Amino acid sequence: MDAVIAPVVMRLVPMLVKMAVVIGVTMLHVLYATYFERKVIGHMQVRLGPMRVGPHGILQPFADGLKLFFKEDIIPAEADKMVFRLAPVVFTFAAMSSIAVIPFYDGFFIADINVGLLFILAMSSLGAYGVVMAGWSSNSIYSFLGGLRSSAQVISYEVCMGLSLVGVILLSGSMNLSQIVKAQQHYWYGMFLFPQFLGYVIFLVAACAETNRTPFDLPEAESELVAGYFVEYSGMRFGLYFASEYISMLVMSSMAVLCFWGGWTLPPFITNAVPALLAVPGIIWFLIKVYFHIFLFYWIRATIPRYRYDQLMSLGWKVLLPLALVNIVLTSILKYFIG
Amino acid sequence: MAIRDIAKKVFLVEIIKGMALTFRMMLSPAVTRQYPEEKREASPGYRGLHALARKEDGSARCVGCGLCAAICPSRCIDVYTSEGPNQTKVVDRYEIEVLRCVYCGFCVEACPFRAIVLTGHFEYSDYSREALFMDMDKLLANWDKYMAGRKGVEYFKHFWRPLSEDFKAHDDQAVFRGNRK
Repeated sequence: MDAVIAPVVMRLVPMLVKMAVVIGVTMLHVLYATYFERKVIGHMQVRLGPMRVGPHGILQPFADGLKLFFKEDIIPAEADKMVFRLAPVVFTFAAMSSIAVIPFYDGFFIADINVGLLFILAMSSLGAYGVVMAGWSSNSIYSFLGGLRSSAQVISYEVCMGLSLVGVILLSGSMNLSQIVKAQQHYWYGMFLFPQFLGYVIFLVAACAETNRTPFDLPEAESELVAGYFVEYSGMRFGLYFASEYISMLVMSSMAVLCFWGGWTLPPFITNAVPALLAVPGIIWFLIKVYFHIFLFYWIRATIPRYRYDQLMSLGWKVLLPLALVNIVLTSILKYFIG
Repeated sequence: MAIRDIAKKVFLVEIIKGMALTFRMMLSPAVTRQYPEEKREASPGYRGLHALARKEDGSARCVGCGLCAAICPSRCIDVYTSEGPNQTKVVDRYEIEVLRCVYCGFCVEACPFRAIVLTGHFEYSDYSREALFMDMDKLLANWDKYMAGRKGVEYFKHFWRPLSEDFKAHDDQAVFRGNRK
């Protein structure tokens, strides 16, 4: 019996430890991403942001987390209780499972699947189900409008996002995220950012729309829909939505880094010039690049006002989609002639 | 021109300009004042908590004429007087309901004897109403606390003018001009 169990345990334990580490670090990241966002936006608005809890408000995220844990969980009387309870779980599940396929550095991932890119795209559209379910089951007009807007928006921008990544897939010849990173090392510039600049811009815009971030935050437009699809949620269920939004922001930033910025590697022309940089562990480069993108999300939020709904749709279908198609054609030609 | 506009749109020129501005603002120091720790001195002439001025000998300057109570639009001042020895007027009670005051400062302007002032003190919130009902002793104590010395002198120099000077009567009419020294 032991002979059967032992190898299974030997494989299972490191796997579980790895999962625990990734989930723990992700949740901690979420806590401090909120703090980081409030500080960045505060300073951009010439304010200070949170300052009260601990020195410079450093313990603020824990205070907020505790508050969410202990708040009363209210379910509206007219709500569809089953779906209402299920919706945040679906949303969180979709956000968290995308983390599984992200290689944080060379060889550190929970699942190394060959369609990692597709998996993340699939999970981000599965998250839209959580939004739609929340909007419908709350039986509130605000939530319902938020849910409708979110589904329309996610469908439109998913197309652009998928097409903007086709260029990367063409150049690297793989959908495995580790392979995509390694493929970028074959070029002297070491990042698909340069040949795929157009694709990168389209991806960033679509990522903002996918994660419901500010220029495209119509599903949760607080000035018109109160909070959008999660108006009726309170306590920890609201906390799940909040956390998952930050997780999907992390996922989208990681995607941008892996597909366009060379993941945990540095471009060869830099490492050839300064070989000492190779001694720095890859996770550090990865995190620097990811946090730059997360900062970029906050930066955009502090700068750009919300689009009108028809502007959002026409930007998606009339500008980004043709540009993404042009990008694919150009990339194919480039790949055919240069190799 | 049209090509320039299209190029501007494609390269997100306006958005990049805006983002440069927000980035610059992020590096500039915040204007926030961390209030309870970092207090701001009230500017001179600030209309805060009331006080009754003292003479040099320490008694109240108020003579109980009741002009402040008469002009007060929210009627928060009550003055009670009685006749003392040698036909003098004695102020028995002088009371201000601070919670009803609208801080217009009319009482200060109306007073011919420079007896009532609004001090620069504004942090006097309390959990009870009684604490904000000011009798004469409290009002005189406020003067000692917030207006004593140079501050009170400066206050009257800049922020007190009897109304009689603004609305002049005929020269042959008998007019009270206050006892400004």
